[in-house]
Amino acid sequence: MPEQNQQPPPSTVTPAERLAYSIQEAADLLGIHYYTMYRLIQRQKIKTCRVLRGKLLVPRVELVKLLQTDLR
Amino acid sequence: MKYNERPTALQESAAVETNAAFSKQMQQFKDTCGVIHDLESNLTTIGNEAFKAALLSPGRAIQTDDGTEWRHGLDLSKITSICHRRTEAGLEFAIVECLPLPSGETKEVLNSGHNVRDVLRDFIRDQKQVLNLWKDDVKAQVKEHLDQNYPRQDMSIVVESFEIKMSRAISERPSVAQTQSRGIRV
Repeated sequence: MPEQNQQPPPSTVTPAERLAYSIQEAADLLGIHYYTMYRLIQRQKIKTCRVLRGKLLVPRVELVKLLQTDLR
Repeated sequence: MKYNERPTALQESAAVETNAAFSKQMQQFKDTCGVIHDLESNLTTIGNEAFKAALLSPGRAIQTDDGTEWRHGLDLSKITSICHRRTEAGLEFAIVECLPLPSGETKEVLNSGHNVRDVLRDFIRDQKQVLNLWKDDVKAQVKEHLDQNYPRQDMSIVVESFEIKMSRAISERPSVAQTQSRGIRV
């Protein structure tokens, strides 16, 4: 069992205001499978950043860009 | 931690808990690896079927985002298919991805060429790169999970067990992939 499993304090930032999303969250927002998200990242159709430990995050601005334009 | 050291009781229980937390994603990862392996194993058959489809049936027209027109041959998945078109140099094949996005459907040529097997091989190679990207991200998520839930504990053995399992899933067919690594079941 985890030694420490405290819930983080409630955030005052709404999901829409967040600066970046995990791959799963970004895939859910776009309505696509997250394997497809990795495919888009691998083809450099969408830019990501890596945070501590190397986890990929999709900046919100990239999702907005993807929704406003197509992938050409 | 030395490579051949046995996991401690805490590491064992952390592995069990982390496996449960990532079970859905790990299953999807293995399933996706299985699809790529199946494609790789049946490359010749699929290539032959795509070639036959190109010769025997015109197939429905698909205009890709670069403006070229292709004819549908075979579906590889819900969003990818092998298409073909006739050129001066002969039949040309392409893997076309039709991706439904909120902004509209995109139709992109992922790989193309005159030898359908080479086109499939390139596609499989690219998919394996995607799997490696996915693997690295899961590894990072596992590290984050362990750091948050087991602070100041050495859980590298648990992270490593995930990495080994995923690397094996990418490189080996499921029937020969092992289910244990360093005493930790993933």
